[in-house]
Amino acid sequence: MLMVAPAFLHALIWIGIPVIAAFVLSFTNYDVLTQPRFNGIQNYLDALTDPVFRRGMLNTLVYAFFTVPVAMGIALLIALMLDTQLRARAFFRTAVFIPQVTATIAVALVWLWIYDPRNGLLNAVLGFFGVPAQNWLSSTTWAMPSVIAVGIWQGIGLKMLIYLAALQSLPKDVYEAASVDGASKTRQFFSITLPLLKPATFFVFVTSVISAFQAFDLIYILTDGGPANTTTMMTYEIYKSAFREFRVGYACAQSIILFVFLLLLTLANRRLNGGDSGRH
Amino acid sequence: MAGIDLTATSPRTTLDVVGRSPASRRRLGRAALYVALGVIAVVMVVPFVWMVLTSLKTPADIAASPPTFLPTEWAWSNYADALAAAPFLTYARNSLVIAVSHTTINLLVASMAGYALARLRFRGSELVFLGFVAALMIPTYTKIIPEFLIVRFMPLFGGNDILGQGGTGWLDTWWALIVPGAVTPFAVFLFRQFYLDLPVELEEAARLDGVSELGIWARIMTPLVKPAFITVALLTFESSWNNFLWPLLVTRTDSMRVIQVGLSVFRTENDTQWAFLMAGTTLATLPMVVLFLLGQKYFVRGFANAGIK
Repeated sequence: MLMVAPAFLHALIWIGIPVIAAFVLSFTNYDVLTQPRFNGIQNYLDALTDPVFRRGMLNTLVYAFFTVPVAMGIALLIALMLDTQLRARAFFRTAVFIPQVTATIAVALVWLWIYDPRNGLLNAVLGFFGVPAQNWLSSTTWAMPSVIAVGIWQGIGLKMLIYLAALQSLPKDVYEAASVDGASKTRQFFSITLPLLKPATFFVFVTSVISAFQAFDLIYILTDGGPANTTTMMTYEIYKSAFREFRVGYACAQSIILFVFLLLLTLANRRLNGGDSGRH
Repeated sequence: MAGIDLTATSPRTTLDVVGRSPASRRRLGRAALYVALGVIAVVMVVPFVWMVLTSLKTPADIAASPPTFLPTEWAWSNYADALAAAPFLTYARNSLVIAVSHTTINLLVASMAGYALARLRFRGSELVFLGFVAALMIPTYTKIIPEFLIVRFMPLFGGNDILGQGGTGWLDTWWALIVPGAVTPFAVFLFRQFYLDLPVELEEAARLDGVSELGIWARIMTPLVKPAFITVALLTFESSWNNFLWPLLVTRTDSMRVIQVGLSVFRTENDTQWAFLMAGTTLATLPMVVLFLLGQKYFVRGFANAGIK
């Protein structure tokens, strides 16, 4: 019991108490300088009716949609391609995974330079193919897709890797039996591979949703939430409310809303997977 | 690792009826596969190459539109100039101190906790474990504001009185940079998984010989889960080195800044001097890439294990 105590106390002070404090403060008006004042559910009403925070919620959902299910599809496709007797497989695996271990700040700075409208690599490459130059990050049309692209680029390696590991641990005999029975490759994929990948899918989904909903560094460097709030996220609004406007109670309410979003998504996924993954 | 496989290669699909011989079809499929993977690899690698190349370009090359891929003149002095333009070495040293501290503390504290939760039965152990699992679920952004307040109002530090008023608490100190992030529930969870797999006979034999619980953990069980230690060490070091928002919030002065914050500040303060910025970014990225290449197996296992179990 003493052996758990240090970790337990640490978690209590730096996770347990903060979460409870965030919940309590979310019902108050608090600006750090004066005592918090109880104001009921006013912060929640404000957050849910504030057009900018609503935009942030919508953007977060859009960003999560592309960087989670869509990126998972792409990752599975790459994993299937790599799950063959392929020379240079180790090289590909490394190439895809390196962005994952690189700091998001570093990644975002490099992409900021690539997206540069005048001297950037992207416009140069597209220009070579006759595509006109774009102001990627300052256009209300292109800013969000540009941010999403970097999100997918950075996160794809981990998803791919987990799928690859799962693919390589699938039982061989099932496929042999299926081949004997004359099941086509496509049929085998949908009836055997996908169902067997469920635990991996559940894990990738949950961890990716958690990180997608907490995308912050990318936005901080690439767009600062702009142009016209088209790329702002829930996390970015929380940061702005708390540390730029000092509306701490309000920011706490926003952070609880973020938590509820994540909780609901995780539970929904668990339900969809038939509680199956819970038993693994 | 070598799990060479099962499904994808043998091209005995129904589509094979298209007239070509199976052998040439196989070669065609293979070529397509290589092209697809090649394109993906280029997309993944080019930004890093571009980062390094930019860091070696002269201002004239940087301003060229359209840009040339390779520098016309290799400006190796950019690195020395970048280090002179901003204290990147101080930033990197700070990051290193924090990452090493986090790694050491996390290995010690989380492995003890993981061991106790896996092997020892005590009152409330189930509840404590559930607590850690719940802690895994808490988003950073839900706890970061109160964490900041705790640090800011830390009693008796940074000029604060016993009630935490009057000063700045732990702000802009090593305490704030190191303590709150030192132990992660994820590490506790991962260690527990590894200790669970060990045979029970070993610890029973040791217990009969009168070895203390702490001794069993330190001398008998821990040497058996070395891979867990390497995995947790790499993951902790990596996330600590790459962390941005927390150090951004709790540091004010240049001398306390970490590398990621330093880079973002350099960008805003110096009207984005791309060659220097990319030199700094390269320096910040290099240690992680090297660490990853050295410990790839453990990184992969750390992430993937959790995914399959």
